Amino acid sequence: MPTLSDISPRSAAWVTPPMLVLGFVMLSAPLWLGAVGLYQYLGIEIAIWMIYALGFNLLFGYTGLHSFGHGAYLGVGGYAFGLFQHHVGSSLWGGLAAAILAAGLAGVLVGAAVSHRRGIYFALLTIAFGQVFWFSSIKLHWLTGGEDGLLNIPRPPLDLVFLEVPLGDNLSLYYFVVAVLALAILALWRMVNSPFGRILQAIRQNEMRAAFVGYEVWRFKLMAFVLSAMFAGLAGGLFAMAQESAYPDVMSLHQSGLIVMMVLVGGGLVSFWGPVLGVVLYFVARDVLGALTETWLLWYGLMFMAMVMFRPEGLAGVLHRLRRRPEPGATPRPAASEGA
Amino acid sequence: MALFEARNIHKRFGARVVLEDISLSFEEGQVSGIMGPNGAGKTTCFHVLTGRHAPDRGEILLQGRSIVSLPPQRVARLGVARSFQIMNLFDDSTVLENIVLALPAFRARRRKLFSAAFADPGLLDAARGILDQVGLGGREWEPSVSLSYGDRRALEIGVALAAQPRVLFLDEPTSGLGTEATQNLAQLIKRLRQRYTIVIIEHDMRFLFQLADRISVIHWGQVIAEGTPEQLRANKWVQRSALGELA
Amino acid sequence: MVQLAPHLFNGLTLGLLFALIALGFTLIVGVMEVLNLAHGSLFALGAYIALTMIDPGWAQNTALGSFWLGLPIAARYAVALAFAPLLVALAGMLLERCLRPTYDKAPLYGLLLTFGAALVIEELIRLGWGTGERHLPVPGAINGAFFFGGLIFSKYKIFAALFSLAAIGAVWFFLERTPYGAIIKAGAHDSEMVRALGYDLARLRMFVFGFGAALAGLAGIVMVPIWGLRPHVGIDVVIPAFLIIVLGGVGSFWGAVVASILVGLAVGVTGAYAPAWSLMSMYLLLIAVVCYRSRGLFGRKSALER
Repeated sequence: MPTLSDISPRSAAWVTPPMLVLGFVMLSAPLWLGAVGLYQYLGIEIAIWMIYALGFNLLFGYTGLHSFGHGAYLGVGGYAFGLFQHHVGSSLWGGLAAAILAAGLAGVLVGAAVSHRRGIYFALLTIAFGQVFWFSSIKLHWLTGGEDGLLNIPRPPLDLVFLEVPLGDNLSLYYFVVAVLALAILALWRMVNSPFGRILQAIRQNEMRAAFVGYEVWRFKLMAFVLSAMFAGLAGGLFAMAQESAYPDVMSLHQSGLIVMMVLVGGGLVSFWGPVLGVVLYFVARDVLGALTETWLLWYGLMFMAMVMFRPEGLAGVLHRLRRRPEPGATPRPAASEGA
Repeated sequence: MALFEARNIHKRFGARVVLEDISLSFEEGQVSGIMGPNGAGKTTCFHVLTGRHAPDRGEILLQGRSIVSLPPQRVARLGVARSFQIMNLFDDSTVLENIVLALPAFRARRRKLFSAAFADPGLLDAARGILDQVGLGGREWEPSVSLSYGDRRALEIGVALAAQPRVLFLDEPTSGLGTEATQNLAQLIKRLRQRYTIVIIEHDMRFLFQLADRISVIHWGQVIAEGTPEQLRANKWVQRSALGELA
Repeated sequence: MVQLAPHLFNGLTLGLLFALIALGFTLIVGVMEVLNLAHGSLFALGAYIALTMIDPGWAQNTALGSFWLGLPIAARYAVALAFAPLLVALAGMLLERCLRPTYDKAPLYGLLLTFGAALVIEELIRLGWGTGERHLPVPGAINGAFFFGGLIFSKYKIFAALFSLAAIGAVWFFLERTPYGAIIKAGAHDSEMVRALGYDLARLRMFVFGFGAALAGLAGIVMVPIWGLRPHVGIDVVIPAFLIIVLGGVGSFWGAVVASILVGLAVGVTGAYAPAWSLMSMYLLLIAVVCYRSRGLFGRKSALER
């Protein structure tokens, strides 16, 4: 099974072939989305969820910290974006900054409490904290609008100092989100191949050894948690803008579980690109299978179970296996010594 | 003054006293051995000396500075490196990366989020130098899981060396090794003794007696004998026990 | 203080009900070190199967169906209480079969697999029983309310609490006082030992999982007349079960019981002063305890920490 960390010496490259492929697909999508029976808004959703899933995988796949309450930070980001527009002023950059900072702050609070915990206890605490955020968003009606959600969030125009681009229609918003996605991918790609990122991966592989070669393990875990929450917050802000509203639903355990499923099905445990594949598969399954049958989640769930049982390395792992020709060293050796 | 000194260490787990008033000192540039029967408290002693467990009482000094009750990462950064009895490597990573991660020069760059981890040729050369020392030169891009048992031991020691330690602790380095691999390991330690202060826990007496300058025998959580291999051969207790037969 | 008493009583009752939910969950965690996220869905499945057994609307035109529907509801309820959990046990055994490839991997995979199973069971319930709210009929004798000391009590809640108490006692007796219990507990600490004693570990695991699932189903039948029956009731149930296990300490039987009652009391008392936030109290309780004692109240070191 390939792993996230068996990286070749060339890994320092700024731009890699998969990035170009993804860039080409995303940029050309508006031309063919309609032709294959899909629609522009789906493109926005997919791009936003890619940011979310890639950021989540910094924590889940790379650091090996299995958070099951990550929807909280997506939700916090969405509310922060909306509240900024309502109470501070209509500003795209201000709203996104607020989303990232609010989610980062939530990440610091939770991360400080969970970064000394391991394994299932870590997962359970993230669930408990996730539920607290979800529950609060429902109950703090005066702030969040409760179950009705925070409505009438505007889509502020893109302000580039000398140029102002309205983002009211889905096509321009799509291109904006894709641009943010590109920046997020570049940042995350640099991060996982940086000294910091390699230390995170070392901690995943062997926490005790990492401590004995001198690293403050919990600080790195906390940092990974906060960074990952910030990416979720960014995605949440964009999502609030796309939906023009923010709801508690994204913070539920159900939704937090879905992002785990997407990342795993795509192969986030073995590849940087796993989350991207997983997000595409989920949304296409939702829309294509969902158009055919109301029970598409049943089929998606069954596929997920089969994946966990037989191919835990996910879609990326399967592609890796198909692409790689058998190596000479991998062929079974003749059983010459067995008689001895 | 000894480079590393432990004074009157006590350690108990619940009602069980594992270490009872242990005092040890390790001289700079020497190979020191700790031996004793299974369950004598050797490994616990190692864990206490390297920061994994805090002792209940007692003092641990590195170059006269107290390091008692510091967490392992702090002890490590002060120049105490160790290998583990059970293999403890970064298994998904390459041989080279295992070494690089332990280099102080790499650790100094730990806050860099956006620069390439292995772009610095100086780092890679330093790591290759250590791999040459432990006999793993030329195998830097192999995943560490695919190494043989003996090679993994050598890599363990390499990781410990990479930290540029003042004291190198080796916990049962021969466990699980065959005769040939054990001899290779002895050769490796003989090469390293010129440059490092080494402490070895071992139950393979032959191995320890050919390498160590001084040996401490631990039994029932206490140091029951201490001295050069020759002095220990003459020691009545050691002669009477099974240890004497080997020596 | 006088006003607090009914809330304490309410909390205690709720705690006993939580304990019933947590029983099967803690059994599976303790023996197999699998956190069964499908526990809540098996709970819901038990209730839905019981619903069909008590009131098989589609069968009323058949001879057997009309005979069955002619029986008093108490009889049908009793039969459902006895047999629906057995069908849930079969579902649990099937799930255990699916879990086998994950045993030699990190605990994460068991968690993920059961999460997928929860989704699948929930969707199957939607498919079979529809998405709307359903109502599980209960016999008249345990329905309604009675007055005592100037307060109103729900007869059904009392029945459910007593039933939980009996179930806790029965499970304790089974684990502590029978040879089967001894084998299961041996499996909890040392699977090698089970093999060495000549028992088939695969069958033991399947049995334990089936047993845990049956307890989930049983809890479902007893609980849904209080909580209502919806396809996603499972997720409302698995989370408290989860929290209780962590609070009590993974794998500890009495830890789970004590934690259930603590959670019940916390929810009951918060309900007296800030009803809207009553469910929040259990999360805060968990966070407070686990931040202070990382393995819960009675927890030991476990493989799940890897």
